[in-house]
Amino acid sequence: MKEFINRILQSSKVTALPVMTHPGIEAIGKTVREAVSSGEIHYKAIKYISEHFDTLACTSIMDLTVEAEAFGAKINFPEHEVPSVSERLVVDLESVELLEVPSLEKGRISQFLLANKLAAENIKNKPVFSGCIGPFSLAGRLYDMSEIMVAIYIEPDIVLQLLSKCTEFLVNYCIALKATGTAGVIIAEPAAGLLSDDDCKEYSSNFVKQIVDSVQDETFTIILHNCGNTGHCTNAMIASGAKALHFGNAINMEDVLKQCPKDIVVMGNLNPVGVFKQGTRESVRKATRKLLDETAGYLNFVISSGCDLPPFVPEENIYAFLETVEEFNTKQYT
Amino acid sequence: MNQKLLEKLSECVEFGKINLASPYPPQMKGLPGADEITKEALEAGVTPTEILNDALIIAMNKVGQKFSENKIFVPQMLLSAKAMSASMMHLKPFFANGSVKRKGTFILGTVYGDLHDIGKNLFGMMVEGAGWEVIDLGIDVKIEKFVEAVQQNPNAVVGISALLTTTMVHMKPVIDAIRIAVPETKIIVGGAPLSAEFATSIGADGYGKNPQEGIMWLDKISA
Repeated sequence: MKEFINRILQSSKVTALPVMTHPGIEAIGKTVREAVSSGEIHYKAIKYISEHFDTLACTSIMDLTVEAEAFGAKINFPEHEVPSVSERLVVDLESVELLEVPSLEKGRISQFLLANKLAAENIKNKPVFSGCIGPFSLAGRLYDMSEIMVAIYIEPDIVLQLLSKCTEFLVNYCIALKATGTAGVIIAEPAAGLLSDDDCKEYSSNFVKQIVDSVQDETFTIILHNCGNTGHCTNAMIASGAKALHFGNAINMEDVLKQCPKDIVVMGNLNPVGVFKQGTRESVRKATRKLLDETAGYLNFVISSGCDLPPFVPEENIYAFLETVEEFNTKQYT
Repeated sequence: MNQKLLEKLSECVEFGKINLASPYPPQMKGLPGADEITKEALEAGVTPTEILNDALIIAMNKVGQKFSENKIFVPQMLLSAKAMSASMMHLKPFFANGSVKRKGTFILGTVYGDLHDIGKNLFGMMVEGAGWEVIDLGIDVKIEKFVEAVQQNPNAVVGISALLTTTMVHMKPVIDAIRIAVPETKIIVGGAPLSAEFATSIGADGYGKNPQEGIMWLDKISA
């Protein structure tokens, strides 16, 4: 971790880490469904990204159903979009009590571990980051997102018990991801962004911290991603103990940078749809430059997409983004 | 007396007190909620129209305003919506027999291919609380289902939701089909990946960045 974090904090240049695998999936001629089902294809998509884009690190697919599937949730698999949970798995205290914490043999977990292992073993030019869902977002997928929002006030004991089981599984999963040799894990916790700062801390960060305490060390960095935070729950994110925080496009990065301690790496936050997918080369360059200007001088800033890039982002837009970062570094520091 | 009941009901909805059994909010634990107070108000002679206009709509307006100002968040808003629904259950017979008039009919659904419903549900409850009849078509709604609902309710306003970048592109075919079936239909779209520019580009009449914006748009077109 120190090496990764220090490399960022001690560099006078801004580094870029867009969260992306879909351009790799598309470039190797596979569908999303194939990539999220096969560790080999998943790895090849990451490999493509590592070879074709000059980024700080590469990331695995942000599929936030893998863990829910392991618990037994029914999953819908579209051909060209990441899967989604199709119905709730637990509905009350009894079903939560009966819910078993699954082994890492269940569902597609073994394929995701394989993808991470192959990527860590074969990609030598940059770090590889694993990914997993956050505890609250996982609990929401199992209990139903609307229902869990209400339950935290009406039946908090059920939610806390479910969160404990989700966290136990995620700790095991992250230990296994760490064993594959990756440099860290991006924990995606978007649903926690719908909560107040206090609730985000109680129902998300306290559980994320258990994962952080179990796996984060000098060789393994936790990046906590919360694209639902509009600025209201940044303190809760900081309280998780993650050494890097990743923010969505709904937040003002300059405000975040002022709020976060200087030894925490802060990542974000160009709109993955409005800028990367729907934009042109020129509009991408303009948006990138604007964000770089606003965040200039913060050594702990890494420019990134506000969430993972969706399918079918024009490659030229990604190149426009990376070229602009490079130009900014050259003009700013030479 | 009646005014006091309306104020109490409004407070229940604003702070998400659903019924007597609900432990939320803590400061109202053990007290009657929107469910019981609505029943009491009707028995005391308060008219359903007064309940709707002088308690529920006022409360949900405050809730929407607080949400847009980040003073409350999704859980609190959902609890308010549930309290409003508990009250509304007692008013259904009066809507059915026509003694209470609503502002209009709002047909709502998540576009086909998309299984997400939290945004749709939240907005649907807010629209109901703003005095509209809501016909919720659910998630993964096919074009034909939207068209059928509009043909059955030709004066209705339509709301289409999408959370995914791959499904937001399905909105235009839905809008085109509705325009062929009932050309004058007003349509609003919403969802995390959307923007006002995208809404305009697919021919939508309105775009709701958040529930409150959507309600304001509805109020504007129904005025």
